[in-house]
Amino acid sequence: MSSSRRSTIIVEHLRKQQMWDSISKGKRLDGRTLDEIRPIEIEVGLIRKANGSARVKLGNSEVVAGVKVETGEPFEGLENKGALILSAEVLPTASPYIEPGPPDEETVELARVVDRGIRESEMLDLSKLALIPGEIVYVIFVDCSVINADGNLFDATSYAAVSALMNSKLPVFEIRDRKAVDTGEKQNPPLTTVPVSITAVRIGESLILDPTAEEEACMDARITITTNSDQNFAAVQKGSTGAFTVEQLKRAAATARIKGEEIRAKLRESTKAGK
Amino acid sequence: MTQTRSLIDENGKRTDGRTGDQLREIKITVGVIKNADGSAFIEFGMNKIVVGVYGPREVHPKHMALPDRCVLRCRYHMTPFSTDTRKNPAPSRREVEISKVMREALEPSLMLEDYPRAAIDVYVEVLQADGGSRCAGITAASVALADAGINMRDIVSACAAGKVDDRIVLDINDTEDKEGDADMPVAYMSHLEQVTLLQLDGVLNEDQFDQCLDEAVKGCKMVYEVQRKALMQKYFGNETELKEEQ
Amino acid sequence: MQEIRRKYVVPGDRIIEGNFRPLFNVIKAGNSIISTRIGIAEAGREGVKVIPLSGVYIPRVNDIVIGKIMHHSSLSWEVDINSCFSAHLPAQDVFGRDFSPARDDMGRELAIGDLITARIIAFDRTRDPMVTIQDKDLGKVPSGEFIKISATRVPRLIGKRGSMIQTIEQATHTRVLIGQNGIVVVTGRNSEGIKLAVRAIRMVEEEAHTPNLTQRVKTLLNVSDSAPADTSQLAPSQNAPQNEELQPTIQEVEEELGVEKGEKVHDSN
Repeated sequence: MSSSRRSTIIVEHLRKQQMWDSISKGKRLDGRTLDEIRPIEIEVGLIRKANGSARVKLGNSEVVAGVKVETGEPFEGLENKGALILSAEVLPTASPYIEPGPPDEETVELARVVDRGIRESEMLDLSKLALIPGEIVYVIFVDCSVINADGNLFDATSYAAVSALMNSKLPVFEIRDRKAVDTGEKQNPPLTTVPVSITAVRIGESLILDPTAEEEACMDARITITTNSDQNFAAVQKGSTGAFTVEQLKRAAATARIKGEEIRAKLRESTKAGK
Repeated sequence: MTQTRSLIDENGKRTDGRTGDQLREIKITVGVIKNADGSAFIEFGMNKIVVGVYGPREVHPKHMALPDRCVLRCRYHMTPFSTDTRKNPAPSRREVEISKVMREALEPSLMLEDYPRAAIDVYVEVLQADGGSRCAGITAASVALADAGINMRDIVSACAAGKVDDRIVLDINDTEDKEGDADMPVAYMSHLEQVTLLQLDGVLNEDQFDQCLDEAVKGCKMVYEVQRKALMQKYFGNETELKEEQ
Repeated sequence: MQEIRRKYVVPGDRIIEGNFRPLFNVIKAGNSIISTRIGIAEAGREGVKVIPLSGVYIPRVNDIVIGKIMHHSSLSWEVDINSCFSAHLPAQDVFGRDFSPARDDMGRELAIGDLITARIIAFDRTRDPMVTIQDKDLGKVPSGEFIKISATRVPRLIGKRGSMIQTIEQATHTRVLIGQNGIVVVTGRNSEGIKLAVRAIRMVEEEAHTPNLTQRVKTLLNVSDSAPADTSQLAPSQNAPQNEELQPTIQEVEEELGVEKGEKVHDSN
């Protein structure tokens, strides 16, 4: 069951006033234009015990993602494919409003939306990761931990998960006596595309990209759009309690393709993976 | 624990090349989590741990507040990718126990009676674990608490010593932890000269016990120097030497 | 007698040995006085203290704070004062003794998100702080640029007898409202002046512990060092220093805190 609640961050009326004035002039409180994305820092390979890892800072939002590879049973109905399991948690270090405990509806949504973007775009060719179809397949775990929350966790988490996958080296398993055995060799993951998530929020009649936590607290509605390397759409999610016009959504989608390409180049450069 | 191989070679070098009385490399950065009141990141060998402190702050639910002092809450938590095999995100019994001994290691240093009806939350997140993660966690947590400006009597430093190949060595690593004979983590307040955490896992005779404890305390003092330097660096920049005008 | 002017300390550091009086953010341990915070230690005839460089704002009675309305019950507003406790503003403080929830609309008077300048009138170990907005210059903050700084830097921002903040106000033609809790609001007619004032405030916040800060701020503001601050035309600044500055003398501190000789002061700020 999901219930309405008061926004956790209460924005000072002076700040809200400033924000509205500023946006009407095409600028935001931190000096960015409406479609400008904050500086992105990406560090890969920092967790050597993981098969792949990345730390992403999107402005002050910071997420660490790690990839761990095991073998196990395939998902029902997907017998010929490896299994991809993505989870996300917002650590209690991330903001004064988070309490430790099982994931709340926002965290569950975060994990599922990031997963959807990666899965639907078929970033990993999972058909190459089955060992004995129906019995034993590669199981790829991608776990994301939000360390500091300052808005737009959808994009920050997605960039961390995608970078971690692009950075990863998978073990090479082979079947001996109907059991999966690690040969000790390493292989590159079967990557097909680089999905990029772009989030915009509506404040008044303006659409702004990559909101800070303060801007999210003032937003009417939010839209997260993931595109793949062919600039096709793979996943979309509207969030928050307001609404968009159809025209605004089409505009957001067009922006997501263009900005997505810019971010894609950044992700590739940071992880030096192909395609 | 039965040993199947020698962990210290004929030149006295351990599996990672250290001698018996050498600490692994430690690096501490202060103030890494923008939203937190205090924070620190530590790299201790291959351990990578980030700690965020919030407090003093209001207690929720209100009935958990204490009338005459602050509530200290401590959580030691490992991310799923921090260990060799992926760890389930739900808290394990090991994490619950370590959270408790960590809180009890830090509490003696804090002047909790200064903040009645409030709470201080210490969140220790292990991004990568490598033997001695609880000691690294306590070390970073004490730095984060100082960064948060909480009144404290002293800084808590932690380090483990252990028995490997029948010898007492300082700061045991992951392999030595798994294959060695004994592991003794210790937390210590250097100025007050008091031990706030002591655990033993393994078998030691009386001499070895004394030696191990001494060795661990020596290690704690070395850890303290790194903590102090990190705090001075963050707050006073290049002026890390004591400034006095007499 | 031994004296220490500026010693950088972390918790647990021994500041001095001997029969000195502990003033604040220090404790006596045997024959030594030890710091309980990261900060700048000073020791002299009057005692030993540490001026902290980090820490959450702890409320004190009579402090002027800038708070944010978060919520209201039928009898009071809940105010976020950037501290470990939220404060209460009783409805009677605004509507008077014969306040009636049926007739008087609290939400219309002060809405969620509104900023108020308030004075702390009650706070002790057993209850949450209570504030009033009834005095002169208190009440809703109508406009201005909002900044949050660490409460530990407020004394340095105000300066000795208000000197630092007055320098900034005059050079930028702004009015700067400072709460002891680290909330600052800058008002002015000219947006360039406001931007410059904000930069100066941020510089003071970051470099509060360094010597020669006043000089660097003046350079930033393009103020000549020799010209004395001209306060004759201005109404007295609202920022009369209320609590200890970063570099006052111990005597000034004692006067402000009203400390009796021999009384130990345990001050968490």
